[in-house]
Amino acid sequence: MSGASIEFRRVSKAFGDRRVLREVSLEIRAGETCVLLGPSGCGKTTLLRLVNRLEEADSGEVLFAGREVARWDPVALRRRIGYAIQSVGLFPHLPVRANVELVPRLLGWTRERRRARAIEMLRLVGLDPEDVGRRKPHQLSGGQRQRVGVARALAADPEALLLDEPFGAVDPIARGRLQSEFRSLSRRLGMTVLFVTHDVREAFRLADRIAVVAEGVIQQVAPPAKLRSAPASGIVEALVRGAETEPAP
Amino acid sequence: MSLSEFLVQRWPEIVELSLEHIGLVLVSIGLAVALAVPLGFAVTRIPWLARPVLGFSGVVQTVPSLALFGLLLPLPLIGGLGNRTAILALVLYALLPILRNTVTGVRSVDPAILDAADGMGMTDWQRLTLVEAPLALPTIFAGIRIATVVGVGLVTIAAAVGAGGLGSFIFRGLAMLDTRLLLVGAIPSALLALAADGLLAVAERRLAAATGTG
Ligand SMILES: Nc1ncnc2c1ncn2[C@@H]1O[C@H](COP(=O)(O)OP(=O)(O)O)[C@@H](O)[C@H]1O
Ligand SMILES: [Mg+2]
Repeated sequence: MSGASIEFRRVSKAFGDRRVLREVSLEIRAGETCVLLGPSGCGKTTLLRLVNRLEEADSGEVLFAGREVARWDPVALRRRIGYAIQSVGLFPHLPVRANVELVPRLLGWTRERRRARAIEMLRLVGLDPEDVGRRKPHQLSGGQRQRVGVARALAADPEALLLDEPFGAVDPIARGRLQSEFRSLSRRLGMTVLFVTHDVREAFRLADRIAVVAEGVIQQVAPPAKLRSAPASGIVEALVRGAETEPAP
Repeated sequence: MSLSEFLVQRWPEIVELSLEHIGLVLVSIGLAVALAVPLGFAVTRIPWLARPVLGFSGVVQTVPSLALFGLLLPLPLIGGLGNRTAILALVLYALLPILRNTVTGVRSVDPAILDAADGMGMTDWQRLTLVEAPLALPTIFAGIRIATVVGVGLVTIAAAVGAGGLGSFIFRGLAMLDTRLLLVGAIPSALLALAADGLLAVAERRLAAATGTG
């Protein structure tokens, strides 16, 4: 399935009197991988959760596939969008394979089709469907759990993926491999990806375009190379320079 | 007559009253589960229900059991001497532990898990049946265990309103100042409580292991 576009139009959001997002506008083209990059607490997660309506904007509009999300039935909307988070949230009472099969199950796929898909997805993220697939989540390492989280998000052919620091618990070496695998995967599948990270290196590896978020606004949206050659503000420049001086993993 | 001779002589009656005792506990705990578990789930969905529902079942707990039996006796239709009054009182007592544990069990599900469930597009019903209820099951079971053990003891008192069960021995023993009668009522009742506790504890541990929460 091909990707759907995502768009933020002058979106503001506050929690109590803490203004987290101020009139943020951003367009993510269909099939594009856009990385939201910024320091912890700058509002990246909030921005992501506005797309699948786990948060509601105070003002402004969020559009999915050209239609305002407020006008979508949340359940229908969410079933077309894959979602994976750093804390993963695997269902501890279900074996790994059943976890991956869940969205297809909600969508009413036949047992054979969803089983085949779960096996395919687990292979895709580099896990053995026979061994790991039969285990319970608590029997996996943190990194394995995160892979399962991504496999689950991918399982139902979503038009868009929302990934919130999905590789945060993977060790640096495995993370590099996962990132490049994910990069080729998302290109091949052609889905739209909105990816949150505070890791500059990760952003540069994965993104078609990076949106730098800081102080409640988007500082700059540009392809990685452009961000390096022409940073739009001191904040962006400091962030990018930080990445260059970081030791290689 | 020695206690052992007495036991042999009364054996058929002991078995009969024990079975009656178990029957009363099973029926009332069954009814309480059927009532309290759905009500507990409802409380987690409808916030304003929490106060009246938990409040009522909490107040019931504070009424001494003998007084509760007495209060229920004169009620039309449900009251009167016999099983019905006893079962009603037992159900009322069993409500709170089961309700409270159902609500606690659902409320203590990891927020990240609920986030994932919502994020993947589960309806509220799917979230309850596929995620919250299975994960709350060990806690719910712990509530059922408490209610059952307490229930086994309460049934002995229910003999006061003519419910039968092992309490009949105890009340007869008290009236006739016969220690042996007291003992053939009290000992099997205590053994039943221990057995129920042990069995349900095993079931609870198995459930916790199966849900990955143990
Ligand atoms: N549900 C919430 N209630 C109150 N404050 C929140 C909530 N969610 C996020 N925040 C606050 O909003 C800010 C942005 O959070 P978040 O979007 O999670 O940032 P990031 O993902 O960039 O680290 C933080 O200061 C956080 O404490
Ligand atoms: Mg975050």
